[in-house]
This record gives sequence, structure tokens and C-alpha cells, in this order.
Amino acid sequence: MASAVVNFLNATLDWMTFASDGPSARAVVFGVHIGGHLFIEVFLLVVILFLLSQKSYKPPKRPLTNKEIDELCDEWVPEPLIPSVNKELQYEPPVLESAAGPHTIINGKEVVNFASANYLGFIGHPKLLDSCSSALAKYGVGSCGPRGFYGTIDVHLDCEARIAKFLGTPESILYSYGLSTMFSAIPAFSKKGDIIVADEGVHWGIQNGLYLSRSTVVYFKHNDMDALRETLENITSKYKKTKNLRRYIVVEAVYQNSGQIAPLDEIIKLKEKYRFRVLLDESNSLGVLGSSGRGLTEHCGVPVEKIDIITAAMGHALATEGGFCTGSTRVIDHQRLSSSGYVFSASLPPYLASAAITAIDVLEENPNLIKKLKKNIAFLRKGLSKIPGITIASNPESPIVYLRLEKSRGSVKDDLHLLENIAERVLNEESVFVVVSKRSTLDKCRLPVGIRLFVSAGHSESDLLKASESLKRVVASVLGGHN
Amino acid sequence: MAKLYVKAVPPADLNRNTEWFTYPGVWTTYILILFFSWILVLSVFGCSPGIAWTIVNLAHFAVTYHFFHWKKGTPFAEDQGIYNRLTWWEQVDNGKQLTRNRKFLTVVPLVLYLIASHTTDYQNPMLLFNTVAVIVLVVAKFPHMHKVRIFGINADK
Repeated sequence: MASAVVNFLNATLDWMTFASDGPSARAVVFGVHIGGHLFIEVFLLVVILFLLSQKSYKPPKRPLTNKEIDELCDEWVPEPLIPSVNKELQYEPPVLESAAGPHTIINGKEVVNFASANYLGFIGHPKLLDSCSSALAKYGVGSCGPRGFYGTIDVHLDCEARIAKFLGTPESILYSYGLSTMFSAIPAFSKKGDIIVADEGVHWGIQNGLYLSRSTVVYFKHNDMDALRETLENITSKYKKTKNLRRYIVVEAVYQNSGQIAPLDEIIKLKEKYRFRVLLDESNSLGVLGSSGRGLTEHCGVPVEKIDIITAAMGHALATEGGFCTGSTRVIDHQRLSSSGYVFSASLPPYLASAAITAIDVLEENPNLIKKLKKNIAFLRKGLSKIPGITIASNPESPIVYLRLEKSRGSVKDDLHLLENIAERVLNEESVFVVVSKRSTLDKCRLPVGIRLFVSAGHSESDLLKASESLKRVVASVLGGHN
Repeated sequence: MAKLYVKAVPPADLNRNTEWFTYPGVWTTYILILFFSWILVLSVFGCSPGIAWTIVNLAHFAVTYHFFHWKKGTPFAEDQGIYNRLTWWEQVDNGKQLTRNRKFLTVVPLVLYLIASHTTDYQNPMLLFNTVAVIVLVVAKFPHMHKVRIFGINADK
């Protein structure tokens, strides 16, 4: 076949030269004068007939020789399924022996609990317990299937309506697992080819949603509105000519990894200027921010309809499990068929949905809980300020009081080791339970690690004082030799 | 015995970027587009039929070379990028060579060349342009040129 190609090329070139030299030149074949045109035309017709006579075939994949196979097998090194576990980073978490209320039992000893996001102190609340018991008696434990099959109970519909009413939105949708709420909602809307601008400090659940959406993800500097504006400006000019491009901003109301609060009013201004959509995760702000606990929108005085998609986990302030997404009817209805966590998971157990309803009722009946929580946050922050070697990195209104090392040891591993040492000693010597940031190998967040104290309205002043005094003592003891 | 089951033939081409060329009437439409382009050029430029055929041939060369042999991938997201490195010509008929559609698409430039050269009486410079166009197009369609990037031209970075 190659020779045929070469012959074809040579013959063509010859005929081109011949035809170019003398367009009307004539040749003599068997004494008959024939024009050059006829040769070219006959030749091309022959080529066409030859082409049409060929049989079709699949181009064969060249088989590897045995030597090549051996070389490939020798070179091959399998990629590990998981990164190798560093012995130093292995950590045995303390085990609770009672409910995770403001006080809990660890190793047979009662401790003050700052490790649970029990912001309103609803864990163990008698009304919620009664609500769960009634729901168990009426519905049983599980829902037995996804929402689209047999998994819809009337209490799910009541819970969705109650959440929408509480937040002032047209509709909401329930998820059975709080962590999966955001990483199901994001891929339901954003697809390959779309753009997501996300804060670099978002938690792993959101990062997983960004990954699953297969969109182009651009991170901006943590809680920096100038960086966000610059990013939106760059993206808007870069993709000016691209049509059918969906553009999203993903932020957390209260960042789990830093305790910072997003300036929602500025984000909405940027959203409207550059025509993006906003996804807001209110897991740590629901029941906490705003005078009646409706979250960051109430706190910043932004109308709730300005935010396109709001998600929240219900395992924090509401002391239940699961999560919800709330927004316009179109936003909610779209997820009923397009959101993996809703379509394919078994739905929320009915007693957890009824507990959520009761929690919202109790919250609305007792606005003092939010005031108590704010007072506790301020009290704890006052006690924790001026500790040498430790600085408070969180927002003054944040229910997560985030303590960070003033000077890093040089690596995340060393910092984590030091902070875990502090937390362990605070637990063992002072009976105060705090947590250190956890960064899995999948986590892309690059913010500094620290100690988190989750403040609850159920903490008493003596609890808060005990925590701040004990942290002061232990930090002085641990960091005294380093600074 | 009567047929008890429907025999479902699997679709010949799952690639939305190339399956349109398997529709009935595509060849006829293709030829009619060329013919009416010729008429359009004749009307607009008022030139001789030979010059019009040359213009049609060169335009056909430019358009088909770009879309069949230069542009890679598909505009659809469902295929998840498996065609991102392939030109349209390499995607056609799932890479099978010397199929009827490939033969048709190879014969069309040759016939256009014959018509254009004959109607310009093999005069330069039209002959040169027509010859270069037909050689480039036909060589690009050879079975041996499947996934070949000469000197790395248009290769993936």
C-alpha cells in the first residue's frame, strides 16, 4: 500500500509538471495525438475506481512484542489506593460515654464539652426527646427507602414546609445526611464547562461537591472580598464570549475551618455586578446568627431571596441529623430528580425530621437562647484573649472559637502534633474537651490548623471560665519551653 | 417460524459529532450544497463557470480541512472527553477505514478538482491552487494517515 501511495504521488507530480509546462502540449500514443488533459482525467478516474473498490477495515492495533510487554511490566509501579499513613499522624480520638451535651463523660470522668456543635443546647432537650419518642411509636425507626420510592413520610413534607416557613423561602428539600447536602446540591446544578469560584477555606464536604461537579473551580483568598472581586473580574473578562456558561460563588456563612463569617452583603453586591449565582452553606450559622436565628441573611440584613441556593446541616444547632437546601421553587424542584443525595439515598428517619420541626419550634419560642449563646461566645473570647503563643482567629460573633498558634512550627504535621498535645493535656488534667482541626489527605484547605471550641447556650459561666483558665495554664506549660 | 422477538440492531455510531453523516440523504445534500454554492458564486461575482468552480473548490477545501482534519474533540460533554484528541475524520465510523462514507468524502474533492480544472482548461494559476487543495485533502484522508501528526503539527500539547 505504501508503494501505491508513492507511485500515486510520483505520477501526480509528473503529470503536474507536464501539464504546467505545456497546457496544450500533446503526446503521441500509437500514432494518435492525445491532449494532456485526457491523461489527468483518466488517471483520476482510475484512482477513484480503485478507491471505490477497496474494502473497509478497522485499523489493527499493533500487538506488543513479548519484549515490550516485559519492559512495561517491569516499569509498572501501582499507584497506592490511599496515601501511606504516617505513624505520627495517627490519632486515637477520645470516646464519649454519654450524650454529647454541654457536659459529657470520657474515661469515666465528667468533662466540659466544647467539641460538639451543640450551639443551642438542644441535645437532651425534653421536648425533642418527647418528639422523637412519639415519632418512633408512630412511624418506626427508618424510612425504608429513597424519597422517590417508599421513603416519603408525611413528617418529611411537614419538615420541609416548616424549614421554608422559618427561613422565609418558598420551598425546601431534605437530605438524609448533613455532610452530603452540599456535595449533592453543587453537582445537581453545576456541570462540566461551568465555573465555580469558591473560598479556599471551605470544608471538605463542599470541596467534594466541587470535585464531583466536574466544573472549573477557582479558589480565592479566604474571606478576602478584594480577592473575590479580582477573581470575578478576571473570569468575567476571560469568558466574555462563552455562551451557556453557569457561574457560581460558593461560600460558607461561618467557616468550619477558621470561624470567620462571610460578609454576605458585599458578596451579594459582587454577585449582582458580575452576574454570578451564590451557594451559601449555613450549617454553622443557622440558629446562631441573626436575632431570631435565621442565619447569615438575617445577620447581614440581606433578603433571603437574594441567595440562589442555601444549604445547611441540621446536626448543629438543631441537634438532629440530615440537611436541607432551601430556595426558590425551581431550585428545589430541580434537585428532586438531579441531586444524588436525595434521589439515591434512603430518606431521613422520620423521628429526626420531627425532631427538627420541634427544634425550630423551641427556637422560635425561646429567643433568649440566641442571646445566651452570644453572651457565652463573648465571655469565652474575653477569657481566651491575651494567652501568649495563641491567638483567636475567628470572628467575634462566630460560635466556633478558633485558636491558632501565633508562630507555626514550620509544618502542618508539627503544628497538629503540638495542638493535639495541648488538647490531650487539657482533657486529662483539666477535664475540658476541645478538638484540633482534622485535615485528611483529601482536604485541599490550606488555612492554618488550630483548636476549635464549639460554644453552646447550655454552657454555664463556670464552664467557660474553667475552659479559658485551663487552656491558659496548659498552653503556658506546653509553649513555655518553645517560645 | 414466526418472529418472536424484535432484533434490535445496536446503533452504528454513538458519537453525536459524527452520527449525522449516517443519516439518509446526507450525500445528496452535500452535493446539492456544492452545486448551489457554485450557482451562488456565479450570480454574486458574475465570473466564468471555471472561476466559480475554482472558488467553490477552494472554499470546500478550507471548510472541510478545518472541520474534518484540524479541529479536535466534540462540542458535547456526554462523551467525557474520549474524543478530545481525535479529529472529526478520525472519529467517523468509529475509526473504521475505507467505509462508504469515507470513500464518498474522498471522491468529492477529486471530482471537484476534475470539474474545476477541466472548466478552467488547466490554466495556471487556478490549476496550481486546485492541485494543492486536492492533494492536501486527499492525503489527509489516506488510511495510513490515521492519527498521524506530521512533524507534530496540530499534535496535543
